[in-house]
Amino acid sequence: MKITREEKTAYKMILPYIILIMLMIVILLVSNVITSFVNEEGTFTFNNYINCFQDEIVGQAFVNTGFWVLGSVLGQVLLGFLAAILLNQIKKGQVIYRSIILILPWATLDIVAGVMWKWMYNDMYGVINDLLMKMHLINDYIPWLASENLAMISIIIANVWKGFCLTGMFFLAGLQSIPKQLYEAAEIDGASSWKRFWHVTIPQLKPVIMTTLMLTIIWTINYFPLIYTMTGGGPGYATETVVTYIYKLGFKFLESNKAAALSNILFVVIFVIASVFLSRISKEEAA
Amino acid sequence: MKKALLVVLILCVLVSSLTMAKTLKIWIGGQVAELDQTWDDIISKYEKESGNEVEVQLFGFDVYYDKLLAALEAGFGPDLAFADLGGWVPTFAAKDWLVNLDSQIENWDGTDQIWPNLWPTVAYEGSLYGLPWYTDCRLLLYNKTMLKDAGFDNPPETWEEFCYVADKITDSSKRTYGYGVSGTKSEVTTLGYMMFLYAAGGELLTEDYSEPAFNTPEGLRALKFYTDLAKKWEVSPNALSYGEDDYRNMMAQGRVAMSVGGPWSFALIEQANPAIKGNYSVALHPYGAVPASVLGGWALVIPKSSENPEEAWGLAEYLTSYDTWMTWIEANGSPMPVRMDVCADAPTFDDEKWQVIFDTFPFAVCRPPIPVYPQVSEEIQMMVQNVLMDKMTPEEAIAVADTNVREILGK
Repeated sequence: MKITREEKTAYKMILPYIILIMLMIVILLVSNVITSFVNEEGTFTFNNYINCFQDEIVGQAFVNTGFWVLGSVLGQVLLGFLAAILLNQIKKGQVIYRSIILILPWATLDIVAGVMWKWMYNDMYGVINDLLMKMHLINDYIPWLASENLAMISIIIANVWKGFCLTGMFFLAGLQSIPKQLYEAAEIDGASSWKRFWHVTIPQLKPVIMTTLMLTIIWTINYFPLIYTMTGGGPGYATETVVTYIYKLGFKFLESNKAAALSNILFVVIFVIASVFLSRISKEEAA
Repeated sequence: MKKALLVVLILCVLVSSLTMAKTLKIWIGGQVAELDQTWDDIISKYEKESGNEVEVQLFGFDVYYDKLLAALEAGFGPDLAFADLGGWVPTFAAKDWLVNLDSQIENWDGTDQIWPNLWPTVAYEGSLYGLPWYTDCRLLLYNKTMLKDAGFDNPPETWEEFCYVADKITDSSKRTYGYGVSGTKSEVTTLGYMMFLYAAGGELLTEDYSEPAFNTPEGLRALKFYTDLAKKWEVSPNALSYGEDDYRNMMAQGRVAMSVGGPWSFALIEQANPAIKGNYSVALHPYGAVPASVLGGWALVIPKSSENPEEAWGLAEYLTSYDTWMTWIEANGSPMPVRMDVCADAPTFDDEKWQVIFDTFPFAVCRPPIPVYPQVSEEIQMMVQNVLMDKMTPEEAIAVADTNVREILGK
């Protein structure tokens, strides 16, 4: 393979940036790996990793993270998809609708969103309880964030609200890039609107769906502020995810070596997820 | 000629740099960080007296711990810093981040005036690593109007009275409650349990902090009583949702008649509801066997990374002097000084609320000043939550917590 002159110039231009980013990331990653393999005194040990695997809370945190990711991603992708399809139909006032529906939740600060949802779920003054009572769906106020079974569902709902906008944006962009001729041709062939959706929209959107899925999964695994502000990982360990536990280990218990080990384990998990997706995406691109 | 001039110039620079005033960095966190005007006045007086410059940085409580921790870990801390008496000092000392202050404190003329029960909070392995600066103790805050409306002129003193009063005031259909049980996954839950544990005659850990001491009949009685308030007698809003800070506001707004608070609460209560002024007060928290309270507050520490530890100690001495404290109290009226002479002399403290605080303070115990305290506290929180969530009986929960704390302390 030969590199053209233009490409050479391009490489030179982006080189400083790449070096800077690499240094930042590589230094941090390496120091994290080193931290995870030493004890408080600085001698080499595997104990941090062994501790992580023996810690029951780590196991629970991984299970919780699984539910958290499954619920959040499913909700965000489905709701985002629905919003994108509906918004794609609107021809007048696109800007207003898009900014209200897609930008507003996403642009709300994480902490603000967390506090807002916490108040909405509140069991003495919360608007959600009030509305459900008025609709006669419940008999008494429900402590959404204070019950072990409901807390996870409650924060997932909040996260779906916070995150569906971004997936919606991706899907909307994808929908708009589908050539109109495909739909016209399908219509001429007598395809119903459902068939057009299934045989034109979905296959055309597939690359976007895959990328969106990958990104939302990774983001959701790493997403911290909403859980931290709403439940702090409680009640009990009901909403303790791996990242909230890493924070707790590092900043509350001052066990920075164990925290480093756990974040490396999480890094490997995310790396595997990302490579599975990327290999599938590149396979499809090649096909 | 030119050379000679240069030499003179260099000499001048050298001499001036030797005698140049030093710049001290002080980090202030917690509630007093909000009082920036008072800090300006006090610090500028110090600058005039000592000739040193002081760079003050104020931090809100929420971000302060993370900031300070990161700075100390990286070795870029300030010269003098505030540290919470809830276990920060021994934790930092165990990491070898703080300057040992044994000789300074021994030679200081104010040492005798510090409330004696504060010293364990700044000690680690027999040495002192901090100078307490202000303190507080937990008491019963009560809404006078709500108590009076229910027919009580005085706050309850014992657990029996307490239960009776709280039950009488509670009307869950109107969402008004007698007392607020802290049960969230945070430090306030540990503090709440400790108030009841010590009031039952129990102890959290043994005297040398080497083993848990709460798995006793007293500890169990406290746990049962504390959780029964929420579960059996239902005199509290949902305990798993709220902590003492929430209840303080509810007390101010007339939703909860009694809650836990202290000297730091007064300004916040009046901020939450200005109309409550004069209609609330404090009392010794009701007790089961002996009067009890848990103390808190802040100390001044000197990080090892400081380039001017001597000047930093000078500033700490100045801040903790009788004169500085008297000026401070005259300007602000709170928090509670660590100096007994100021507590006795300042006219502000003639108020009945302050007299209750000073009467209670000698009963106040500190949270175990050990580096693993955060882990121990987490186990206590889990213990209370396990009972509140009906996952375990009090007997099971206390046994589990006992095992886990034993393991944490044994490491």
